[in-house]
Amino acid sequence: MKVLILTSGVPFIRGGAEILADSLRDAVCAAGHQAEIVALPFQSCPPSRIPEQMLACRLLDVTETCSVRIDRVIGLKFPAYLVPHPHKVVWLLHQHRTAYELWDHPAAGDLIHYPDGPVVREAIRQADRTFLPEATAIYTLSKNVSGRLRRYSGIDSKPLYNPPAHAPLFHKGPAGDYFFFPSRINPVKRQWLVIQALAVCREPVRVRFAGEADNEAQQAECTKAVRELRLSDRVEWLGVVSEERKRDEYANSLGVVFPPVDEDYGYVTLEAMLSSKPVITCADSGGPLEFVVDNQTGLIADATPESIADAMDCLWAGRRRAATMGEAGREHYLDLKIDWENVVDKLLC
Amino acid sequence: MANARGLRILIATVRVPFVEGGAELHAQGLRRELVAAGHRAEIVSVPFKWYPPRRILDQMLACRLLDLTAAGGARVDCLIALKFPAYLIPHTNKVVWVLHQHRQAYDLWQHPMGDLHDHPHGAEVRDAIHQADMDLLPQARRLFANSRNVADRLRTYCGIEAAPLYHPPPAAQEFYSGAAEDFLFYPSRLNALKRQRLVIEALALTRAKVRVRFAGTDIDLGYQEGCMALARRSRLQSRVEWLGGISEPAKRDLYARSLGVLFPTLDEDYGYVTLEAMLAHKPVIACADSGGPLEFVVNRKTGLICDPTPQALAGAMDELWENRDTARQWGEAGRQHYTDLRIDWGTVLERLLP
Repeated sequence: MKVLILTSGVPFIRGGAEILADSLRDAVCAAGHQAEIVALPFQSCPPSRIPEQMLACRLLDVTETCSVRIDRVIGLKFPAYLVPHPHKVVWLLHQHRTAYELWDHPAAGDLIHYPDGPVVREAIRQADRTFLPEATAIYTLSKNVSGRLRRYSGIDSKPLYNPPAHAPLFHKGPAGDYFFFPSRINPVKRQWLVIQALAVCREPVRVRFAGEADNEAQQAECTKAVRELRLSDRVEWLGVVSEERKRDEYANSLGVVFPPVDEDYGYVTLEAMLSSKPVITCADSGGPLEFVVDNQTGLIADATPESIADAMDCLWAGRRRAATMGEAGREHYLDLKIDWENVVDKLLC
Repeated sequence: MANARGLRILIATVRVPFVEGGAELHAQGLRRELVAAGHRAEIVSVPFKWYPPRRILDQMLACRLLDLTAAGGARVDCLIALKFPAYLIPHTNKVVWVLHQHRQAYDLWQHPMGDLHDHPHGAEVRDAIHQADMDLLPQARRLFANSRNVADRLRTYCGIEAAPLYHPPPAAQEFYSGAAEDFLFYPSRLNALKRQRLVIEALALTRAKVRVRFAGTDIDLGYQEGCMALARRSRLQSRVEWLGGISEPAKRDLYARSLGVLFPTLDEDYGYVTLEAMLAHKPVIACADSGGPLEFVVNRKTGLICDPTPQALAGAMDELWENRDTARQWGEAGRQHYTDLRIDWGTVLERLLP
């Protein structure tokens, strides 16, 4: 089969969606097909440009190439999944989130701040309701994404989990004296919440953050909070780390803290499980809640500094329990049978 | 633009899915060189399908609707656009380096290799393409063409002046030369524009038992099958080899070992094959209507330029086959000519981003 993977992206930014598209292409090729990625540029600001880019996607034609049929397209992201094709399967990574659940989010909301924001939001919602059902099948990244699609657009879909990149290379090491928190540094991942939690911990809990800030201001804010709360000796900023270093940091951590706001899916949870580490997440964290079993493979806290502090204290003081939870997390991952063969079977069937 | 270092640059091009060609290599080469020069550079490719003709209009509009002024909240300093219709994407600091226009609307209009003119809406689509090129290409801050041939077409059809800007083929420094063996080499996609069929027809007429190795394939295998059938019917199987898709090292090895290189293509925009042959110290046989190659092949000094007929091509192949010393000398002269032309990425970047 000739398979095109349709995605949208912001030039110069490479994140989870780009890695997922690459992994999907590799998996489709490994199954004996030809696959290519079409990555369309997407600029979400100012909002008035969004409907134009939606229209651009509707105008493209990927039904054939040089008179040879393209058998299947797999749409991943808005607005690329709007490109028409008679055999389109959508594997929805997420809708345009600030037109939906992040519309009025204090930190992440953007459309809401523009005079034409409501109009653009309606155009996006209308396009999703009208054109997503064109697909012959709709899968999503997670139950969380399926739930939103049902709630906001009235469209049914099935979650289809995929493994993190290089899943077999994750390993377990001796638990050290730190929690690990790898993620892009921004308000949605809530590194600041963990810093505030550290200030109210009873135990001398330490956290290592890995990842790049979306912009310098966000890093500066976090660094300033650490200084003001006198936490400098309990917080480390590793910045961007290699994949190998990341796996080592997982392996040698006591546990993983991952309290994002309504994450779509969240490889961090899965990577922690692969590394046999317990995960602390929040009740509003979305995707991680599909994998963390409270008190068995990790702890689900409220999204408050106090509650996260309690959870970190609990694992810090109960190291044996932390280790047991980590092992249970690894077992749970294996039981879920998350692998690319299954993903490719579903998307190409 | 006072400080040209460390710019955020997007390269806009189009892509025909599952077809890898010179344009992709060109974009990748440009990106690599921009990054090596300290810029941040990425390629944006828009899928392109040119039939039925009205779909071209949709895709031109799609390009006009895309927004590459900023990425992730930061300005894109420069857009370097290469192909139709991607070069229609708006940007305040756009440099267009035209690889080629939509040839079916220009030099291939009413040409046997084109088919736009056969469609009921062909003329209206052609006019829209002309209009878009004439209105929007001059909006570029700077305008270059991939070759003199492409620049000439822009002037002839659109009255637009563009400076030819040559660039080296991918991995130019990896080419080398070796002793000539008993074959002529023709590496190219197998399709009607490249005219492998003409070579087969010529082989049937040569005095000497000239042998040819073809490398390359194409997504549509019909043309290749036609050529192979013709070779069988003409009882030329023992003198023709179809190597299909080969690796880059294998290609360089075949250049090095060939007696000379065949490139009788039709009105080629630029043509890496000519340059690669020159880098491998080999003479090139091209045709008088081959376009780009004529900017590089000096007749009877670095190769032969013949009429696009089986008889003339057969004569040229015989001449190289029977005069090995001359072939070798022309190959050496071709290598020297390449050096004299100063085709290098440093020059390209200086002109694209002065």
